[in-house]
Amino acid sequence: MTVLKSEALTKIYGDGESKVTALDNVDLSVEQGEFVTIVGTSGSGKSTLLHMLGGLDRPTSGKVYVENKDIFSLKDEALTIFRRRKIGFVFQSFNLVPTLNVYENIVFPIQLDGNDIDDKFVEEVICSLGLTDMQERLPNQLSGGQQQRVAIARALATKPAIVLADEPTGNLDSKTSQDVLSLLKVTGQKFSQTIVMITHNEAIAQMADRIVRIEDGHIIKGGYPND
Amino acid sequence: MTKVSNKKVIRQLAFRELKSNRKMNFVVILSIILTCILFTSLTSIGGRLINGAQQETMRQVGGDRMAGLKNVLPEDYEKVRADSMVKDVVYRIIVGRAVNDGLKNISVEVNCAGDENAAKATFCAPTTGRLPENDDEIAVSSLVLDELGLSHELGISVPITLDVDGKITEHEFKLCGYWQGEKVAMAQICWVSRSFADKYASTPTEQFSITEHPTYAGYWQVDFNYANSLDIEGKTDKLLTRIYGNSETIPDTGINWAYAASNVDGGMLAGGIVMIFVIFAAGYLIIYNIFYINISTNIRSFGLLKTIGTTSKQIKRMVKVQAAMYCAIGIPFGVIIGILSGKALFAAIQTTMNIYSVASYKISTKLLVMICIVAAAFTFLTVMISCRKPCKIAGNVSPIEALRYNEVNIGTKKKDKKSVKVTPLSVARNNMSRGRRKTIVVVLSLTMSMVLVNTLFTVLKGIDLDKYVSAQIVGDFIVMHDKNSYYDDDAFTKITPEQIEYLKSIDGVRQVSPVYFQWGQLEFQGEAIDQLNAFCDKYADTDKFGEIANAKQNKTILTDIYGITDELLNEISPSNEGFDMEKWSSGKYAIVNTYYLGAEDEKGDALYSVGDTLTLTSWDGENKRKQDFEVMALCEMPYALSKQSYYMLGGQVIIPESEFFAMTDNRNAMIVIMNAEKNRFDDVDTQIRYITDKSDSQVILKSKQTYLDEFNDFIRMVRLVGGMLSGILALIGILNFVNAVVTSIISRRRELAMMNAVGMTGSQLRKMLMWEGVYYAALTACCSIILGFLLDQVVVKGIAGELFFFTHKFTLAPTLICILILLLLSTVIPSASYRVLCRDSIVYRLREN
Repeated sequence: MTVLKSEALTKIYGDGESKVTALDNVDLSVEQGEFVTIVGTSGSGKSTLLHMLGGLDRPTSGKVYVENKDIFSLKDEALTIFRRRKIGFVFQSFNLVPTLNVYENIVFPIQLDGNDIDDKFVEEVICSLGLTDMQERLPNQLSGGQQQRVAIARALATKPAIVLADEPTGNLDSKTSQDVLSLLKVTGQKFSQTIVMITHNEAIAQMADRIVRIEDGHIIKGGYPND
Repeated sequence: MTKVSNKKVIRQLAFRELKSNRKMNFVVILSIILTCILFTSLTSIGGRLINGAQQETMRQVGGDRMAGLKNVLPEDYEKVRADSMVKDVVYRIIVGRAVNDGLKNISVEVNCAGDENAAKATFCAPTTGRLPENDDEIAVSSLVLDELGLSHELGISVPITLDVDGKITEHEFKLCGYWQGEKVAMAQICWVSRSFADKYASTPTEQFSITEHPTYAGYWQVDFNYANSLDIEGKTDKLLTRIYGNSETIPDTGINWAYAASNVDGGMLAGGIVMIFVIFAAGYLIIYNIFYINISTNIRSFGLLKTIGTTSKQIKRMVKVQAAMYCAIGIPFGVIIGILSGKALFAAIQTTMNIYSVASYKISTKLLVMICIVAAAFTFLTVMISCRKPCKIAGNVSPIEALRYNEVNIGTKKKDKKSVKVTPLSVARNNMSRGRRKTIVVVLSLTMSMVLVNTLFTVLKGIDLDKYVSAQIVGDFIVMHDKNSYYDDDAFTKITPEQIEYLKSIDGVRQVSPVYFQWGQLEFQGEAIDQLNAFCDKYADTDKFGEIANAKQNKTILTDIYGITDELLNEISPSNEGFDMEKWSSGKYAIVNTYYLGAEDEKGDALYSVGDTLTLTSWDGENKRKQDFEVMALCEMPYALSKQSYYMLGGQVIIPESEFFAMTDNRNAMIVIMNAEKNRFDDVDTQIRYITDKSDSQVILKSKQTYLDEFNDFIRMVRLVGGMLSGILALIGILNFVNAVVTSIISRRRELAMMNAVGMTGSQLRKMLMWEGVYYAALTACCSIILGFLLDQVVVKGIAGELFFFTHKFTLAPTLICILILLLLSTVIPSASYRVLCRDSIVYRLREN
């Protein structure tokens, strides 16, 4: 089943002289349970693509479907709500709420939705990421790797349709990167979670089921269906 | 140490940083401008008021010279003029008083000016025409012309009834000059020529101090200045020693208390210092707050600068240079706006206080420049002191921490946090507690403004018209002797029984109560002498005028004897215990009060106790009558009912009208208190004027309404100034609040974007930010209500409560109104600033450092 699909996704910044085409007619589809990495050099448009896929930014033209829903047909508020229900984000710089403790950060999107927490599931997520003992700590009491694990837990806790990770190991040393990525992959498999991750690190990219290469706003390999 | 010339690059860096941060600049500069406005407008109003009050006092005194010699001879004038320490010496010659029937309401002195400067020194230089040169010429104040019903026209004939030490002569002068008279002056002046003065008040041959029956005509008043107004009294003493040595005939001197008042008014000084401190504190809090937030926002860039090798000293310097740049832009604006608003405000004060003479309150350029400099310096100082602490934070930042800085106080003890349900409300609460210092500063500055506004309001609200007026006047109307006849022997016996009868017969009158006065003396006998002796010994040191020694020797003190009707007892001793109406009616009892002005509390120790017997002698001309009374109560005669003058050591004895008549043949009253029926005031007023406005009448009418009008003017001015002060303080507080909320939102752009990214909707974010504002408002409300109450109990009750016309009523209305405004703002501002924030996309904000 296709969870995520983009059609002729185009993003153009600026106009005239300073016109930059960050994405140019990108078609991409991701199947349920897949672990996809998007690889490209800096400035290749991979972050822009990820932001479009997650509904953080609106494209100049083209469409993105998440579970067959055209997400850009939604207004901003509705898109935000859709995002918190269907998409989990993991950022390079962790982006935890500094005043909330680990547990609160993890359930933050669920509670924003006003939903009851699936305690058992959340506990399982916390446990599988090895965060059980630090649930009441504040983010600034954690190491980078720990913070990123909290961010992953937050992304998984809402049982989203898809987890989008933007260079999740960019701020971590290689040993910690390895740990975090293994955890990401393992938990992804465990909860049969679809994951799309950006990286510029070939070694990390190799861990994925599929590698999508992007250059100058074009997918040059691995984009399916046109491959 | 190697001296590195790096100042230029630091300055350049500071400037670049400033340029890149326009929104913050605007807020900082605005707050500097506001602080500066506050300083400038207050110093300029203060300066004008102090300067004006001094001028006003001079006009009241009737002279601008620092000191003078009274009643001297021409040779004394020459001696003073020869002295090297004095300057601007002028003289005028006393001729007499103008006592025309038409001049009953003002007192008019007839003098001869030594020259034009002498006239100027008394604020009585003719602005139209000139000083008189011939016998038949006169120059007068416009008020005299008005009172006499004459037009303001040179050459008209001015009739004057001249009283030269009791000798009355009639004259017909030609008007050769006039000027705008000062209503505040104690006396109006008419200038006559030197030849006229020589004719009617020739220069005496004897020194004034050795003449037996004092006559004033022909003596000179010599006034002069010193180099500066410090210690005028001491300088005058030295001058006398220089001129007269140990001679016995040293003339009286006069010190112009306009200077004394401005020099040593402790209350005003203390008030001013408190005011300056308050503004300083308000300015400090707001500027400190902004710099603190500014630095929190830029902490990453400071960290970056450090990683590339900027020393903490250089970073501090950079922040200081930025502060100075802010001042350079903000202060000129602030000074200009402050001067203008001070001027505008003062214009409003002036119109309200229409009794003031406008000329007194003009401000010289020199003073204006000084005010500008002082205000600018104060503002600069405030800014520099305010940015010291934030400067230190910026300088001491560690590069690594700065890069990870997220406004959570890194130094605070790390504590685990219990999980609670996450809602906009709970997140807001968490956000409040992270920047404790910031929260405290914001709440404190808000609280301070609010408490001050509240206190000022309470003070203004507490000014009690009735209390003030009832101290000045008892009843609705009072008929009393006019100002001119105050020094007459019969000043206190002007109202005849026929007039009293007439007043009683007026339709619409509810009550007519005459108060009778007689000079008298208290004799001490038996045990009372011991009390007197003890009293005299206690105050012997303070006995400058020999009154204590006199009393001890003669066993007597001077006293006023008042005869009153029973209705007035309520006004005199409304709550005196043991007062018995039956005993009072028997005529054997008296109410007594003794006072000594030399004592610290002026009342001195009471010489009588309830139950004592007092022996009273009345001096009815040569006719002395003596009678004993028992002291029924100790109570002061209310000022409005008394003869309104005091001895150093003296008494007041109040007895029933019938007993008073037994002690004297005088049946004329000193004053008559009248009450009218409701709605008949105007009527009664007109009918009373029938006797008081008669040309030969020596009595005048004062009504409650005139006092009310007078006091209303005063209150209006106090309210205006207090209101504007409260307004500015409230504005500063609100600005601080707005600033705190807005900057807290701006500095968390990235965090808010992240929350948005993981699914917090715009309305939830707005709600969260709104709750933060509400928390500030609620915290401020708690603090200001508690502090406001404390301040009220301690300061307002303690200080303002002492004022006799103050009724203490605690109110929280201003605080509540301000909090309402804060609540309103805390709902409006977050959504407005969030909307501004949303102009940048989430992605953009997420990427930002």
